[in-house]
Amino acid sequence: MKVHIDEIKCTGHGRCAKYAPNVFTLNDEDGYNADRGKTIDVPADEEANARLGVKSCPERAITIID
Amino acid sequence: MNDVSSSTPVDPETTPEALVERFGRDLINDFDLDDPNFNERFDETLNFMVRKCPVVHSKVGRGYYLINTQDDVRAAAQNWQTFSSAKGYMPNRPDGLPYLMPEESDPPMHTRWRRVLNPHLSPKVCAGLDHPVRNDVNALIDTFIDRGECEFITEFGALLPGWAFFKNVLGVPVDDLAMLVNGVEEGTFAADLDERARHFAEVFGYLEKHLKWRTTQPPRGDLIDTILAGVTYDDGTEAPWEHKVSILVDLTFGGIATTTFVMGSAIHHLATHPEQRQLLIDDPSLIENAVEEYARFFPPVVALGRTATKDVEVSGTKIAEGEFVMLAYACASRDPRHMEEPEKIDVRRQGIPHSTFGVGPHRCIGSNLARVELRATLEEWLKRIPDFRLKEGTKPTYITGYLRSMRTLQLEW
Ligand code: HEM
Ligand code: SF4
Repeated sequence: MKVHIDEIKCTGHGRCAKYAPNVFTLNDEDGYNADRGKTIDVPADEEANARLGVKSCPERAITIID
Repeated sequence: MNDVSSSTPVDPETTPEALVERFGRDLINDFDLDDPNFNERFDETLNFMVRKCPVVHSKVGRGYYLINTQDDVRAAAQNWQTFSSAKGYMPNRPDGLPYLMPEESDPPMHTRWRRVLNPHLSPKVCAGLDHPVRNDVNALIDTFIDRGECEFITEFGALLPGWAFFKNVLGVPVDDLAMLVNGVEEGTFAADLDERARHFAEVFGYLEKHLKWRTTQPPRGDLIDTILAGVTYDDGTEAPWEHKVSILVDLTFGGIATTTFVMGSAIHHLATHPEQRQLLIDDPSLIENAVEEYARFFPPVVALGRTATKDVEVSGTKIAEGEFVMLAYACASRDPRHMEEPEKIDVRRQGIPHSTFGVGPHRCIGSNLARVELRATLEEWLKRIPDFRLKEGTKPTYITGYLRSMRTLQLEW
């Protein structure tokens, strides 16, 4: 599974990293998703966490690419 | 134009007669945020509107719409080109009140400010405030624990957010906090609109004086210095002094009353649900998620406004250019299309898609700090006062408009 984090929609709620800290990291400086605008790989054993992170993003900024 | 009902399918529960009978007024065509019925039956009204009334209209003053479903709120909040913040967030804004940066501005001006302000309230910085905030929580509890009772709002809830923000972030003395808390509260809820303006002016005056004083002091490299350094707008002009003052005012408005409401509501819920209290005492690791669920369910920001920059249609309702449109974050956080049993509080709920801290570029800049305050409060309170209840014969009192506030909460243990 891969996920894409929308560069513009992400406004730094930080929810993704709460549920899936091993997938999503926040930029130390401003607290936005550090991979804004990128597509990243999700390890198989992190998929469930990643899905919760995706669900809890109030911006729907993260899309799952199966 | 204003007849919203004509565009929604007929449902016996949403006819004007049924609405008047149930809510005391035709919610769909004649909504009023300041109606005492809304305050009294807050949960019921939110739950009803998010299910049955995607868009409602108010005839109060210059009039406004309320957008209620999560998908519509998110789409509008993210589409700042069509739903602009530059004409303010308050419905029927008092004349002459200066606009507040960054809240009452649009990108790219808004982006300039957020870029320099965000680092001062990032998750990392706020995690570092956990310790001083916890000390404050305990210092406040010390003032009343031996008495076996307290009035939670004045003795704790209205103080902690002000201490957390003024002492730890702004370095402002907390002596004048009571005046500021009262100014923000009355400026939001006073029945008379001129009186609201007078209270806001008092808060403006106080904070401007403080900012001016800081220009005479050596720099500390803090948030205030960042505000004083200012930003350059895209047209090459420097942000004027009034914008700098308004940043400080906006942060103060945002930073004090809102967090008090979530805190008070969570403590009230725990006072009246011993089994929930026990759940969190037995497994404190649930508290972080509980904070999220309480923030979802007890929204201090009911709705904030935008101005339509062109004719648009939202869930079948036509909205004309220039109309004032409120994003009902409180309704969006209870949308059954996005979560199960949204009318229930469930601290074990996983992946809570709420909009209590707003959506879009104006996402609450203080959300990370508010979370630290709420978590520290619940953790320390439950450690020190694990068994507490509502004082016999009392119940909390509330006031509601575009914000919701708890006025009193009497506890005993
Ligand atoms: C539980 C507590 C809080 C809640 C529920 C809350 C809610 C919100 C919401 C819904 C918005 C979005 C405004 C919009 O869409 O126009 C917002 C913005 C804002 N909040 Fe908060 N807030 C809280 C705490 C704080 C704190 C602690 C601070 C300051 C330290 C703060 C400062 C602000 C500021 C300055 C904005 C404007 C941001 C912008 O326009 O870019 N808030 N808040
Ligand atoms: S939850 Fe969404 S908006 Fe927040 S940091 Fe993660 S991706 Fe960005």
